[in-house]
Amino acid sequence: MKLTDFVVPEAILPDLRVESKEEAIRQMVGSLCTSGKIEPDDEEGILSAILKREELGSTGIGNGVAVPHTKHPSVTQLVSTVALVRDGVDFASLDGEPVHILFLLISPPDRPGDHLRGLENISRHLRNPQFCSFLKQAKANSDVVDLLREADDDQLE
Amino acid sequence: MSENRVQGPVTVDLENGLHLVPCSRIAELASRFDCQIRIMKGDQEVDAKTILDLMTLEATCGESLVLAATGSDAQEAVHQLTKLFASGFEVSNGSDVG
Repeated sequence: MKLTDFVVPEAILPDLRVESKEEAIRQMVGSLCTSGKIEPDDEEGILSAILKREELGSTGIGNGVAVPHTKHPSVTQLVSTVALVRDGVDFASLDGEPVHILFLLISPPDRPGDHLRGLENISRHLRNPQFCSFLKQAKANSDVVDLLREADDDQLE
Repeated sequence: MSENRVQGPVTVDLENGLHLVPCSRIAELASRFDCQIRIMKGDQEVDAKTILDLMTLEATCGESLVLAATGSDAQEAVHQLTKLFASGFEVSNGSDVG
């Protein structure tokens, strides 16, 4: 599984300006909806499922990274988008630091393996400081897509 | 003085595998100990105190892992982490959302 298999290029938000965690998640889900990957009728349900998941414990896992996610029956395959927040947003992260890089994931409930593989893939690349550094410097949607492709092809150190 | 190293097997007893909630709990508990703690799956080995590392294990339900701790409190660390795995991480199996 590769990042470009499940990150929706049209839904990437390379310069997200938000004041809160909820606003960030709302914008990302909205962007997936605009891109046509989720239906408008499902948008609110998906949003509330992701926010409910955050109540269990923040998906802000430290180092300026968050992976908000949920399982939802409206998707038949893993769907994801990326958002970059220059100034950072408070995510109630485990290390208390603001979040700059967000990967939002929606996975089909009957395929827990896909969810794990998606998380594994994202985590593996986020462990690479070069990947995070380049991601933070990306200015346009296409910069992010190019970087995801390079990561998929193991072209980063 | 020889290094105090303690090792023990654990099994992932979670329908959805070792997703973010259990990984966070492992890292949180492991970070309370001074010793170095590694978790192994086959020939893959990761730092139990780092969530991103743990998530790269991609450990599914029923998978066998090995805990290995090195340091003065290694015994207690392996004991507590083994208990956490055995408890099912206190997450409800079917309804958890990852």
